[in-house]
Amino acid sequence: MSQRKRGRGGPGLKHAASQVEEVEESSFTQTQTPSQVQRNLEKRSPGQVDQKVGEVLQYLLVKDQKKLPIKRADIMKNVVKEYKDIYPEIMNRTGKKLQHVYGLQLEEIDTKNHIYILVNRLQRVEGDNMRVDDNTGKLGLLTVILSLIFMKGNVTKESVIWETLRRLRLDLGEKNSEFGDLKKLVTEEFVRQKYLEYTRIPHTEPVEYEFRWGPRAFKETSKINILKFVSKIQNKAPESWVTHYKEAMAESAATAANP
Amino acid sequence: MAEPPVAAAGGDGEEMPGEDGYGGPEGNEESRRNIRHQYRELITSVQQNREDMLSSRSNRLTEVLEEANKLFGGVSRAREAALDAQFLVLASNLGKEKANQLHSDMIVFDPTAFAEDLLTFMGLNRLEGVESDGEEDGMANGFLPPDAWQRVGTEAEKYFKRAPTFHFMLGSFKTDPPVPKQRLERQKEKPKMEERRAMPAQLKKMEESHQEATEKEVERILGLLQIYFKDEPETPISFFDFVIDPTSFARTVENIFHVSFIIRDGFARIKLDQDRLPVIEPVVNEEGQEIEQEKQSRCQSVISLSLQDWKEIVETFEITEPMIPPVSASE
Repeated sequence: MSQRKRGRGGPGLKHAASQVEEVEESSFTQTQTPSQVQRNLEKRSPGQVDQKVGEVLQYLLVKDQKKLPIKRADIMKNVVKEYKDIYPEIMNRTGKKLQHVYGLQLEEIDTKNHIYILVNRLQRVEGDNMRVDDNTGKLGLLTVILSLIFMKGNVTKESVIWETLRRLRLDLGEKNSEFGDLKKLVTEEFVRQKYLEYTRIPHTEPVEYEFRWGPRAFKETSKINILKFVSKIQNKAPESWVTHYKEAMAESAATAANP
Repeated sequence: MAEPPVAAAGGDGEEMPGEDGYGGPEGNEESRRNIRHQYRELITSVQQNREDMLSSRSNRLTEVLEEANKLFGGVSRAREAALDAQFLVLASNLGKEKANQLHSDMIVFDPTAFAEDLLTFMGLNRLEGVESDGEEDGMANGFLPPDAWQRVGTEAEKYFKRAPTFHFMLGSFKTDPPVPKQRLERQKEKPKMEERRAMPAQLKKMEESHQEATEKEVERILGLLQIYFKDEPETPISFFDFVIDPTSFARTVENIFHVSFIIRDGFARIKLDQDRLPVIEPVVNEEGQEIEQEKQSRCQSVISLSLQDWKEIVETFEITEPMIPPVSASE
C-alpha cells in the first residue's frame, strides 16, 4: 500500500511507460478505500468534478452508438486522465446521472477486465415511435439467432443457424441488401458487441463452430423474454415448452435475487 | 405392418420380365382384377380422407393398413404387389406426418417450423412465385416484403432492454476514422495543391502569349495582303482565295478571325465584285487615316462557315494552296 502511495505521488511513475502506468493505476483504484477517494475529492472544486462527470457521460453515450462494449482502461485513458484518484466517485455519479436523466443503466459485463455496456432501464412501450433503422432489422436477426440458441439448449452448432437463416432467405454466400456480409455481421459484429459467442468446437475435422449467448444478450434480454418471443412467433404459450420455461423462470429468479 | 410382405413382393416382381402375366398359371384373371380394384379403392379413400387419417384421435390409418395386409394375402403377381407398394408409400408419408404432429403436441422446438412461422410473421407472400420449383427440402415459396426483418426487429425490441442511441441531426465524425484512408487522401491532395499553386503563373503566360500571338498574326496577314495587292494592283483578291486554307478548316476559321480585325481597324475592306463575290483589298490612304476611320460608318456582318461550306468552296474555287501560309511554314 505504502509503495503504491509513493508511486502515485512521486515523479517516477509519470515517466514509466503508459501501459505500465495504466495497469498500476487500475489496480490502485480497485483497492482505494472510500475515505481516500473522499480526501482526493476535496482537492477538486465541485465544478471540476461535475465537468469530468459530464465528459465521461458523453464518452459513454457516444461509445454506445455502435453497441461496442466500453473498457474501463479506455475511459481512464481518454477521459478521466488526471482524475484517476477519484475514478470510483466519478463513475458513481455518472451512473446516477445515466439512471435519472437518461433512464439507462451502466452494467459491468466483465468484472475481470472491467468492461461496461449501457442498457435501458425502461421497458419499451408499443407505439413509442422510436426510430426504425438498419439496427432494427439487425436486432430482428439477432433475436432469431438468440432464440435458436436458447431453444436448442443454450449452445448451437453454426450449421443449425445457417440452415435456419437459409430458410429465412438469408444465404451465407450472397451479399444481402439489408445486412451486407451476413457471416461477418453474425460472427464478427454481433460477437464484438458481445451479443454472441462464436467458438470453435474442439477436435472437429473439418473445423466446426458453435454459438452461445454473449454477456450483453444476458443483460439486454433474458431467457424468459426470448421464450416469449418464440411463443409469440409460434403462437403458443411460453409454458408449453415445459423444460425451457422452467429454465427461463429459474434464470429470472436468480437475476431478481442477485441483480 | 405391411412391410414384410411387400419386401417379398419386391423380390417376386424382379424375377420375370413378363410380369404382366396375363393368363399366368397361378390365380385367375378375375380374382386379380378384383384385388387391383380393391387396392385402388383403398388408395383413393386414403387420399380423400387425409385429414381424418392424420387426426390424433382417429385410428383409421391402422385400420386401412390392416385392410391392405388382408388384401395382400391374395397377391401373387408383381402388378398387384406394385399397387401394394404404392399404398405403403402413401401410408408411410401419413405416418411421418402423424409422428411430426406428435412431436409438436409434446412441444419440442423445431427450427424448421420456427422458420416457417417467422416467414409468416414477416408477411411472406406465399401466392406469388408458386410455379417456381422451389419445393425441394421443404423451402416455402413466395417472396418476402422489403421490411420483413424490420417487422421482426420491431417485435424483438419489446423483449430487449437495449439502450436507444442518440445521433447528431446533421451527422457527426465517425468516432474512429479509418487511419489508412486518411493517409491516402493526403498523398493525393499534396500534388494537387502544388499544381494549383503553379497554375496561375502558367495561365498568365498563356493569356499574354495568346494576345501577342493574335496581334502578330493580324499584322502578318495584313502584310501579306499588302504584298499581294502590290504585286498585282489590278486584280482584286478574292476573299475566299485569301482566307481559305484548303488543308485545314481550323486554320481557315482562324484566318477569318484575324482578317476581321484588319477590317475592323480599317486597314482593308471587303466588297462584292461584278459576280457578286466578295473581294478584299487593303485601304491605301496614308494621310488622315485615323480621321477617316472615325468617319467610317461601322458595319457588322456575320459570316458563317461550316465544314461542308468550306469543302464546297475549296472545290468550287479550286483552291490548292493557302494564300496565308501557316506560321511555322512562313517563318
